[in-house]
Formats: sequence, C-alpha cells, structure tokens
Amino acid sequence: MTGATGATSAPLRVIVVDDEELARRVLCEFLRAHADVTVVAECANGFEAVKAVSELAPDLLLLDVQMPKLDGFDVIDLIGNAVPVVFVTAFDSFALRAFEMHAVDYLMKPFGAERLTAALERARERIRSKLAQPLRAVVGAARAATAPVNRILIRDRSNVHVIPVEKIDYFESQDDYVAIWTGGRSYLKEETLGELERLLSPDRFIRIHRRYLLNITRLAKIEQSLTESRSAILQDGTELPISKSGYARLREIL
Amino acid sequence: MHPILGNGRRLLIYLLAWVLVGALLTVALREDGPWLITLAFLIPLCLVFGFVALSAGYICRAFPLDVRARIGNLIVVHLVAGTVAGGIWIALAAAWARAVDWLSNSTGGSALADSQALPLFMVAILLFWLAAVCHYLLLAFEASREAESRTLELSLTAREAELKALRAQIDPHFMFNSLHSISALTTSDPVAARRMCLLLADFLRDTLRLGSNQRIPFTEELQLVDQFLAIEQIRLGARLRVTQTLDAAVARCLVPPLILQPLVENAVLHGIAQLIEGGTISVVAQCAGPMLTITVTNPCDPDRQRSRGVGLGLELLRKRLTTQCGVTEGLRAVEAAGSFCATIHIPVVT
Repeated sequence: MTGATGATSAPLRVIVVDDEELARRVLCEFLRAHADVTVVAECANGFEAVKAVSELAPDLLLLDVQMPKLDGFDVIDLIGNAVPVVFVTAFDSFALRAFEMHAVDYLMKPFGAERLTAALERARERIRSKLAQPLRAVVGAARAATAPVNRILIRDRSNVHVIPVEKIDYFESQDDYVAIWTGGRSYLKEETLGELERLLSPDRFIRIHRRYLLNITRLAKIEQSLTESRSAILQDGTELPISKSGYARLREIL
Repeated sequence: MHPILGNGRRLLIYLLAWVLVGALLTVALREDGPWLITLAFLIPLCLVFGFVALSAGYICRAFPLDVRARIGNLIVVHLVAGTVAGGIWIALAAAWARAVDWLSNSTGGSALADSQALPLFMVAILLFWLAAVCHYLLLAFEASREAESRTLELSLTAREAELKALRAQIDPHFMFNSLHSISALTTSDPVAARRMCLLLADFLRDTLRLGSNQRIPFTEELQLVDQFLAIEQIRLGARLRVTQTLDAAVARCLVPPLILQPLVENAVLHGIAQLIEGGTISVVAQCAGPMLTITVTNPCDPDRQRSRGVGLGLELLRKRLTTQCGVTEGLRAVEAAGSFCATIHIPVVT
C-alpha cells in the first residue's frame, strides 16, 4: 500500500465519485493538470465507491453528494472517516449547512480549476497533519434533515447491504459496534446505539435497555420474573432484558 | 360632481321622474282652476326642485349611515335640511306663481300657491326625504360594488404573486447542474456545450414567458417539457429515456401554464435520478369527452430517502388546478411497486 501520508512528493491517489458522466469528466480534466495527482478510480455510484475505497485505499475522495441509492453521506456512513473527503454538490441547503457547521471542504458545481486546486491543497495539508475530518458529525447533521431514516446500510468488506428498517428485529450494542438482528441473522456496524436511536423513528424503535433498541412491532409479550426484572419476548421467541427506564418508555408507547 | 349631473342620460331620466311627480301633484292638488295653469305651475316647480333635492346627496355623504352614525344627529340634520328645502320650495312656488299669473293673464297660479301652501310644504319635505333615502341606497350600492372590485383586485394580485412565485420556482439544483454540464462540455465537446447553452436559454425564456399567461396551448407546454428533457438527457445520458403518447385532439387544448413541466421535473429529480440504471418517463395525454387527462409515469426507488419539503410542488400544482380549472381533484399522484404515476384531470378548454 503506497499511502501518501508524510511524503510530500508521493502522488495523491484520488477516487472520483459522481453519478453524472460529464461531472466526472470535468473533474478528471482538471486533475490531469496536476502531475502529483493520480485518479485511481472513477465511480458512478455509491456502491462502486465503497468497493473502490475498500480495494484501493485512496488518499482522497472527491465525492458527489446527490447520487442514486447511496448518496455521498451514505458512502461516508459506510466507509467511516478513514479517507479524507472533498464533497461536491450542486445545491443542497442541508448539505451546505452540514459542511459549514463542521468546516469540511466542499466544491459547489459549477466550479473552476482554481477552486479544485485550493481544495487539493487543503486536503494535502490535512493529510500531512494527520488530522481526521469530523465526517460522522457531518453525516449526522445532514441526516437530521431526512430523519427518520428508513434503512440501515451495512458494509461487508466491499459489499453493501441495504436493510429496510421494518425488516430489523432489534439492535444490540457491542462495544464500538452495533449488531443488527434481522430474521435470526446479525450484521455488525460501527455505530453507537444512541446515534441510531436518534435517527430512527421513535414510534417504531424503543430503547428497552442500555444495550437494546427494539422494533416494537416484534414484541410478543412482556414477562415479569420474581426478581422485579422484566424481559421482552419477541415473536420469534428471543428474550431481551428490559431496564426500568426501558419499561417506562415501553409503557408510554403501548 | 354629482353622479346624476355628470351623465346626460341619467339626468334626463331623473328630470322625467320629476315631471311625473309634477303630473301626480297636479292631479292631487288641482282645485277648480284650469288643468293647463296647474300643470304650468307645478311641473317647472318640480323640475327646479329636482336640483334642490340633489343636494340631499351631499348631506348623505357628509352624514353616512354607517356603524358610527349617531341616529339623533341624523334625524336633526334631515329635519333641518327638509325644512329648509320645503322653505325654498314655497319661496320658489310664490315667485313662480306670480310669473304664471303674468304669463296666463290670470290669478290661477297665486290662488293655487296660496291655498295649497301647507300641502306643498309637506310634499316638498317628503320628496326631499325620499331623495335622501334614494341617495343612501345609491351610496350603499356604490360601497358594495367598490368592495367587490377590491376583492377582485386582491385576488388578481394574489394570482399574480402566485405566478411570480411559480416562475421563481426554476429549481436551483437543475440550474447549477446544467451549468456544470456545460462547463464539462466546453473543452471536450464545444458543439454540444453551445447546444446545451441554447437549450437552457430557450427553456428559461419560455418558462418566464408562458408563466405570465392564464392559458397557453398545450403544444407550448409540451415544447417546454421537451426542452427540459433534452437538457436533462445531456446530463443524465442513457439513464433518462422518454416516451410520449399524445391524442391528436390535445393539440387544440388550452391549459394553465407550467402544469406538465413540474410533473416531469419531479419524475426526473425523484424518479430517474434516484435510480442507478435510470428508466423511462412516459407522458400520455388524451381528450376523453369533456375532460383532458395527462399522465406522467416513471420508475422510482421505493427505498429512497425522502427529504422534507418534497411534495410541495405537487401541492402547489393541485391548488393551481383548483383555482384555475375549478376542479377539486385535478391532480392524483400514486406510488406503488416502484412506479410513480401523476395524473392531471381537467375540463377541456379550446
């Protein structure tokens, strides 16, 4: 792996992501003028982008925000903040607000070669100083506009799973990860239960326990044991603990 | 200027009414004097008094019958005005009686004026009050007409504002993306770049132009949609495909401007652009009897993230169809199984 970190002379390995062929074309044309930049992949959608990032480990992502199926924020949701990003957008007030709020770099279409050069300069600076971008916060701020989310994205190496929220039975917190349980299977996602709770519809997903976020439609019954503690029995027979505050939340909604 | 004095026809009708009053008075007040003298005495008197009675209009304007009017004041004002008018009438009658005497070489005029002085005075007061009542009615009628025209004016202003808003609705997203495409084409394909510039200019010009009309030929709306789709096709490439099925009869229809364009724009923005493989937008327009039906169908991603504010365009269009075509169910939008279908159903206007 030939990471550019540290070495100033090493070429910057860039992935260009945009669903419009013309938009990719103009970016690549501008980038050709930079001898120290190599475009290692051009991606026409988010799936290709996630795959390319996994396989090529680029130094920088030039990422369009508005794309089909997986938009720019979904891509960040899946790849985390491992790769510095310069966002590209035509006009999206929510996205722009999120970028401004967290001071991440972005290009507004249409942009000129000079503007791109300046963005590349700042990206290099960031890579040299090894400063991570607050990308999760950007996604959180941008998603606040579209919440509640109606699907969960999971990356499995270079593959992406899109799980509609109604197919999810419950979420289980596991250290830095969240296990997403659906039909007896589970997927791991680097995420906190609190963040998920904030993004999902509060009418459907209830935090029944510090470690569990339950899809209320899966609840079959609540069992009370002798020791005052309660547990939720799901339709498939799974038993989950209910905390005191979790029980209060459940009672409120039922 | 008094509304009656300002209009010759009205003045003539008004004076004819006073001639009639004079004739009625002649029948009522004639004693044994000759008809001709009584008529000659009363009709000119009534005609002159007609002008005196017009002054009631100024009094009515000065003391309007509205919620703030004090009834006591009104009564006093009209009692005084009526008495004064009666006095004027009696004085006029006395003077005219002498003239009639002199002209007819008799004493018929002054005999009548003397013997009927009190009835004449009472009649004058009543006539003056009648004139006041008529003036109040006229004022009320004027006020209601003014209110009506004000309402009409307001609704016209509102409609104009709506159209202005409509024209400002040109999606900034569409504009910036199109400009970016042009920027990309300038070096790689200058001919295509110029073509797109011209398409964009035509589209903007036509949107502004058509938006200011109440009704436009449906063919013009279709042309606007074609321009829009041609631009989007350059941007989205093979992802955007279009089919059109049009009845020959729809070419003659007149429709409110910008009713199909927002639907097609939605179909691109929320439909085709959200699909990796793209899809086909189908536009169907047909006349069935008295109704024009326009349908836009496009594939869509049922799992797409829906941001807030989506659906406002459809809501606005629905309202416009209600106010401009008088239909409550002018627009139906249905999404099912990855397909979105919007239907406009409005009366045919040719």
